[in-house]
Amino acid sequence: MHALIQGIILGILTAGVYALMASGQTLIFGIMKVVNLAQGAMVIFAAYLSYQLFASFGLDPFLAIPITTVVMFALGVAVEWCFLRPLRREDKAELSLLVTFAVALLLEGVMTVVWSTSVRSINTSYANSSWTIAGYQITLVRLWAFLLSLVALGVLYFILQRTGFGRAVRASVQNPESARLLGVRSEAISALGFGLGSATAAAAGSVYGLLYPFNSGSHYDLISRLLSIVLLGGLGSIGGAVIGAVIVSLSSAIVAATISPVWSEMTFFVVLLLVLIIRPRGLFGVASRGAI
Amino acid sequence: MTALLEVKDLHRSFGPVKAVDGASLTVDEGSVTALIGPNGSGKTTLFNLITGHLRPDGGSVRFGGADATTAGPAALHRRGLTRTFQQARIFPQLTVQENLVVASGFTWRELFGRRINPRDAEAAQRLLEEFRLAHVADLYAAELSYGQRKLLEFAAVLMSKPRLVLLDEPTAGVNPVLIETMEQHIRERNAAGITFLIVEHDMGFVMRLCDPVVVLDRGREIFVGTPAEVQQNPAVLDAYLGA
Amino acid sequence: MGAKAIGPARGAVFLLLVGSLPFVGVQHWVLNMLVFTLMYAAMSSAWNLVGGLAGYPSLGHAAFFGIGAYIEAIWFQHHSVVSGYEPFYLLPLVGIVGAVIGYPFALVAMRTRADVFAIVTITLLFVGQTLAFNLTGLTGGAQGLAIPPAPFSADSFERPYYLVLLLLLAIAMGVTWLTMRSKVGLSLSAVRADEDKAAAIGVHVGGVKMLTFCVSVGITAMVGGVWAAYESFIYPQFAFDPLITIGIVLMTFLGGRGTLWGPVLGAFVLELAQQYLAYTLGGNEYYLIAYALVFLVVMLLMPRGILPTLQARLRSRRRRRAMPDDPVAEPAPPPIGSAADYAVSIPAPNGSER
Repeated sequence: MHALIQGIILGILTAGVYALMASGQTLIFGIMKVVNLAQGAMVIFAAYLSYQLFASFGLDPFLAIPITTVVMFALGVAVEWCFLRPLRREDKAELSLLVTFAVALLLEGVMTVVWSTSVRSINTSYANSSWTIAGYQITLVRLWAFLLSLVALGVLYFILQRTGFGRAVRASVQNPESARLLGVRSEAISALGFGLGSATAAAAGSVYGLLYPFNSGSHYDLISRLLSIVLLGGLGSIGGAVIGAVIVSLSSAIVAATISPVWSEMTFFVVLLLVLIIRPRGLFGVASRGAI
Repeated sequence: MTALLEVKDLHRSFGPVKAVDGASLTVDEGSVTALIGPNGSGKTTLFNLITGHLRPDGGSVRFGGADATTAGPAALHRRGLTRTFQQARIFPQLTVQENLVVASGFTWRELFGRRINPRDAEAAQRLLEEFRLAHVADLYAAELSYGQRKLLEFAAVLMSKPRLVLLDEPTAGVNPVLIETMEQHIRERNAAGITFLIVEHDMGFVMRLCDPVVVLDRGREIFVGTPAEVQQNPAVLDAYLGA
Repeated sequence: MGAKAIGPARGAVFLLLVGSLPFVGVQHWVLNMLVFTLMYAAMSSAWNLVGGLAGYPSLGHAAFFGIGAYIEAIWFQHHSVVSGYEPFYLLPLVGIVGAVIGYPFALVAMRTRADVFAIVTITLLFVGQTLAFNLTGLTGGAQGLAIPPAPFSADSFERPYYLVLLLLLAIAMGVTWLTMRSKVGLSLSAVRADEDKAAAIGVHVGGVKMLTFCVSVGITAMVGGVWAAYESFIYPQFAFDPLITIGIVLMTFLGGRGTLWGPVLGAFVLELAQQYLAYTLGGNEYYLIAYALVFLVVMLLMPRGILPTLQARLRSRRRRRAMPDDPVAEPAPPPIGSAADYAVSIPAPNGSER
């Protein structure tokens, strides 16, 4: 019982981080109908950036987030501009999968060259401190990571709901044709949307670097989890991504705590298959139209 | 005449919108029945409900004397009910000939036979000549004009020897010559025993071809009668002009 | 019509030509390169059944490659290799097991379409890798598994593997050819163009999809089995390698999906170039970057692949000659390999027309 509750606490705290990563990915899908297979690699890249800032300048990963956010945003815009925009519209749905996978490989290659393949971790002074509440251990880093993810999700929500850019994004997600007629520049929205989706990888990357050791190949593991989460929640739905993250993290953590960590890696896949049997479009899936 | 299709008190809403709201109609065996009504009166939704593309919220559909309310499109197709779409849904990456053959329906054993065997080719050829599409038989369907696509979809529907064909606006966007051709084909096929239910906006077409005419407004039928009666009925005029 | 009789003849000449190479004193490093090329040619050809003909872009085929490899390896933990040919005798079983594992998976995965399908399948790949790492009792985990090396003479060591892979390629191409000529192929084309409509007019949509998937992953598993025997030592990260999936898909796209020769052409061009570069440059760390860049350039410059691009050009010329001023002719006929309908072929599952 103790192990189970400990597992649930851990699962919820982890869910926050995954929710943040997955919301960026599902946002990109909502806007562009592109499944960004490079999202995992972007998170790892951001993790390396904050690792480097910490190692070279002693900058705390949490404080490095504004810097990495700007870098990741620029990277996202560049990727959209160089590799996705030239695709013809009728090929986009299929080719974008391959193109973003290629971008993931490219990033992996660059990271391998710059930081080699040895496993890195960001060891801050508080990395190992934890609280014990009623016999349950809560790692400080995890708690902060969780809170930070909530804040970042809040910012994302604010941007989408309260800014002109957000309104334009939502309009073009719901009805691209009329949005275009109303003067929304879909090309600009795509670039900015991809940038915004990538920017969520910055905060997520800092947090990921604090929580887990990583190397350039870690993005494979990450992307498979992210994909399960966004599929579970339904592509294009941010609310779905958050709930998907909770389900995946909770079930993994509970299985790890009660059965075996070996099988926890499998849990998300089983959950995903079960959901797809019942609802091929995910829990909150939106058909060819998106919704946020 | 016996009823081939009986629709009773069919309901279907999309959120707050009641697209079909208690519609009933009967299509007699051997008739060419028209379904008309102002835009948004629920004609296409009714089609989708009848053909199993949508599930009704309430009501019943009977086809050929047996219940068909919850049957899917594939099952209904096997029973002899088939349809065309407003925007002709053909297979653009198949040739015109292949579009016909794939619609002819084949058994598991035939599945492993030749892609187009001489019998298929002959059946397709006959139909294509009748529809004056023989000269484009080997083109990809994507290369056809809009009107030709509609003809092709219509021809493809006939490959499976249906009992009832639902046509969704067969003349919309089609040039006048093709409209006449289409009319001719419907007449001939009807004489050969196929029953039709047609959604159509072109009143001239409906008046020349169909009897009876069912008028739909706000998701339910408001009048059924001969074309002449429909033209004189005040409720129908109201529906078209007043709404 | 004459072209149809030429088809099998062309295939036979190609296979004989390629098959004769190990007997005419080609150097070992070249043969080794060709072994990998044939491996990819067979897998691309098999992938093309699902990804090209049926239009289901599977990113999970490497999982079946890994499954095939591990079936071989696990089998020979308990059986001995005497003549060296035993791993080949096991291949039919490997193929069947691969297909049997593929069936229930496809039953679920093929309820989804296009990008969702791609994601579900790639997830299978990662799960396969995780399992191979973690089921240490069965797979040896990160330590990998060894298959006792075959006692073939060093002079002609590659030869049996080469020929068996060529046979698998021949099977994959034969299946593709037969499929394209049969109503299975016709049904698959309809599924690819508009699956809902196809189902509504009585095409056995589910049946042909499942059949194609199982055959395709069965062949892929057999290739994995040969690979395991050839390498004689396998590790999870190489048996379940996303790069294999990407290689297969990329080669098929480069050559032209939905065509008989496209995947083979793509495999020979890309894999030979890649092996040659790896051989001359060595396992350089810039290799991944170069590979990704080649990948991106191909996707952006030739989204439809080499063969369909050529075919479309030929066809439009022939058409112009046949019907000089037909008003019907529209300027842009989509070639058979076009993905023109992907955007519209993902309608809601229960009918979105209103």
